[in-house]
Amino acid sequence: MHSYWFGDVDENCCTRADGDPDALARRVSSIRTSPDDIAPPDWRLARECGAVKDRSEYLGKLREICIRMANDLIAARYRGRDTELIQMVMALEGIDQAANQLAGRLSDWFRILHPSEGWKYRPGDARKVLARMGEDSAGPMKELLDGILRLREIRAGLAREIGDRAAAVLPNCSSLVGGLVAARIMARAGGLSSLAQLPASSIQVLGARGALFAHLTRGTPPPKHGIIYQHRRVHNAPRGARGKVARVLAGRLAIAARIDCYRGMLDTEFIGRADRMIESAGGRR
Amino acid sequence: MIWIGDALVSSGEAGVYGERVISGHRVWDPCRSKLAALYYLGKGVELTPSMRVLYLGAAHGTTVSHVSDYVEVVYAVEMAPRPMQDLLEVAGRRRNIIPIMADAAHPEEYASLVEEVDLIFQDVASPVQAGIAIRNRAFLSPGGHLILVVKTRSIDTAARPEDVESRIGAEIRPRYTILDSTWLIPYHRDHVAFICKR
Repeated sequence: MHSYWFGDVDENCCTRADGDPDALARRVSSIRTSPDDIAPPDWRLARECGAVKDRSEYLGKLREICIRMANDLIAARYRGRDTELIQMVMALEGIDQAANQLAGRLSDWFRILHPSEGWKYRPGDARKVLARMGEDSAGPMKELLDGILRLREIRAGLAREIGDRAAAVLPNCSSLVGGLVAARIMARAGGLSSLAQLPASSIQVLGARGALFAHLTRGTPPPKHGIIYQHRRVHNAPRGARGKVARVLAGRLAIAARIDCYRGMLDTEFIGRADRMIESAGGRR
Repeated sequence: MIWIGDALVSSGEAGVYGERVISGHRVWDPCRSKLAALYYLGKGVELTPSMRVLYLGAAHGTTVSHVSDYVEVVYAVEMAPRPMQDLLEVAGRRRNIIPIMADAAHPEEYASLVEEVDLIFQDVASPVQAGIAIRNRAFLSPGGHLILVVKTRSIDTAARPEDVESRIGAEIRPRYTILDSTWLIPYHRDHVAFICKR
């Protein structure tokens, strides 16, 4: 017997599937066909079944069911707890890029008007530079500066929110590398379930795509770390131990991601063991 | 295929993705569509009004919309939700597109929906592109054509594209008769199109 969207077809009889488009769509989703036993439907069978009266009705009904199923599938995919988190991480990275680029542009602009000002040999960070420019700018320059400062405020709030959500969606990963880095790694992997399916070696170099492909195609040294470098246990580790810390940490993250994906609860015992392993590799807490 | 001067066009409702229109026909840009590139290179399979097409890797529905201008019906398979949203918009205004959200590597997911077709066009980024072509063979009518566009870089980034081409050729040869293979330069880099017959 073969099951089709319009009904079940046997050697010599056909049972029409009844119901509204929703019921038909649900029925189609439940049909299981073996990959070795694919027999495409013939629309004339549907006519014999009494499901449709002509080809145009066949295609019209089928199209309606398919559109309905696609809409349901899209909604289901977007319902995942990780989908909004991914967008938030992307937005954060977008803000960083835009704010840095604009701040650089603004600084060049400012120094044309104030040639004797320089940022070298001055204690302080970018925030002080922006404050200094604020004292002596007006018009569009001042407005741009305010815009950058506003972006930074938005970024701070967004980063807090990402951290909070990550703690809920990725409790184990967050407890290993912090919410923000955990969320970034998850976003780069394309979602929580994709991350849970990645081998540790891939997690280790997520975010180091350029270096990885240079290694594969041109034979440069392989990258030791990608996004996980942003975690202090990796970048604060002694130079010689960084690769090792990154590798051990990635190994624990791969397991943490699977716990997050399939169990969804913080496993303090696992975290304790993982922390000790990472510490003995050289990555202090 | 319809040509106006040197421009490949199709006739249907315009404005799908901001395509140019000349004398009422939608321009089909070879730099944006691998299938159009194939026609520009003098290859490809003539699309006719009675044709049924299975399109694997439909993405945002730009090329699909042109194909749908030519043929009776296009079964458009795409698995990623974001492009699928765009494809649904296109399908909403073109009654001969049947959008299917499924993984082309698992044709059993849509075996109850897709009828026998005259042409399979496959343009997916996957390391198992040859396997996908073979698994979908069941939908192709005897004598029907397969156009398989291979992104050599998604099979193996490090290997030479020519080596990937011969590897894919060897993989599909037992199941299909290969009529031709064409590199899509200058329109697309590292892409090769196989034209095959069942």
